[in-house]
Amino acid sequence: MMTQFIYGLLFYIFLMLPPVANLVESIMITHMHMQMPMLVISGFLMAGIFLKRFPRFFEKWNSNGIPGITLFMIVIICWTIPRTMDEALTLQAIEAWKFISLPFLAGFPLRDSWKKLTKAGKNLIIIIFTVKYFGMGALYIWSEDQLCNNYLVIDQLTLGWGFITTAICLVIYLVYAFTVDPTKYE
Amino acid sequence: MFKNRHTNISLLVVILFGCVLFYIGTDGFKAFTEETARVNKLVDEQPEFPDVTLEDSKGRTYSLSEFEDKYLFITFLYTSCNTVCPQLEYNMAQVYDLLPQKYIGEDIVFLSISFDPERDDPSTLERYRKAFKSDGETWRMARIKDQNELDSLLEKFGVIVIPDGRGNFTHNSAFYLVDKNRRLIDVMDFTEIEAAAVKVTSILEKEVGVK
Repeated sequence: MMTQFIYGLLFYIFLMLPPVANLVESIMITHMHMQMPMLVISGFLMAGIFLKRFPRFFEKWNSNGIPGITLFMIVIICWTIPRTMDEALTLQAIEAWKFISLPFLAGFPLRDSWKKLTKAGKNLIIIIFTVKYFGMGALYIWSEDQLCNNYLVIDQLTLGWGFITTAICLVIYLVYAFTVDPTKYE
Repeated sequence: MFKNRHTNISLLVVILFGCVLFYIGTDGFKAFTEETARVNKLVDEQPEFPDVTLEDSKGRTYSLSEFEDKYLFITFLYTSCNTVCPQLEYNMAQVYDLLPQKYIGEDIVFLSISFDPERDDPSTLERYRKAFKSDGETWRMARIKDQNELDSLLEKFGVIVIPDGRGNFTHNSAFYLVDKNRRLIDVMDFTEIEAAAVKVTSILEKEVGVK
């Protein structure tokens, strides 16, 4: 647990280094589909030790995982709004908010909540994300307007297709989850 | 599923937090993109048109006092653009045609400003002007030669121009309306031609009524 925390923390600090942050933020798709998930992962890694140390707190306030996963979804959805991406680049406060909210308000609750969800609950979350990613992909690809002032329109298209590809992967997983019964192969 | 009271409370807190977050993040569900937020803010603040020296397609140079006591209907473009700018100028031409003839040149002047002063010299602008059948008087096309002046104008009016490294620019487009006191009073959607024409006409009618 401790080593995991240290790796998570080092990863988090690495992502905060200005050259690293500037590089991934210079391209729209790496900003959203690389930096943001990696921040969540760093929080996910750091969370373990806290969950172990304060199990009663999480058991009391997040017994079935629903509040935690809701918080996770709210934070993630917030960061796929075109405006928040733009403002992260232009406003320091929003940039700081990104580095706080994604690891600690998305990564942390995800770690505590995911294992508490039932199988149906997990699939429901994945279905919501699939729908959302198809929707966001369509928005970024077919939008007539330039959605983010700080990025080129071509970047916007790339990001749109990134969303669609991710959604397709989620669909493949869902098809697998609903059609294949792993116990048959054990 | 919802047996645990504490968990229900925390779920409620989380949902409330989400509502507040989205409310603040989108200015009360009004602005989901930076562009909408930018336009709302500009119309609120009404920034003043800074002092710049324009050079138009006829090679004349003048400051903004050239248009004293006139409204200005402005667009920003670069002539090598082959995507949104021609559409923007075409739409601008339609607004020009829709406005009552009596105001044109008298109370309002149309002005297309290039943010690519290096390539858009007067002769290039002149060619562009002819392509859009602007008369060069009541609808002028001009560049701002001094990069500092240009940048200050773009910044004040929130025009974001990103060069893509291959001679093109990605930029936001809109119709800008500046009043007689050189204040930016409206930023309009350039795809809503009729709405823009109606709005400008009503503003001009009010103004002439005061005279």
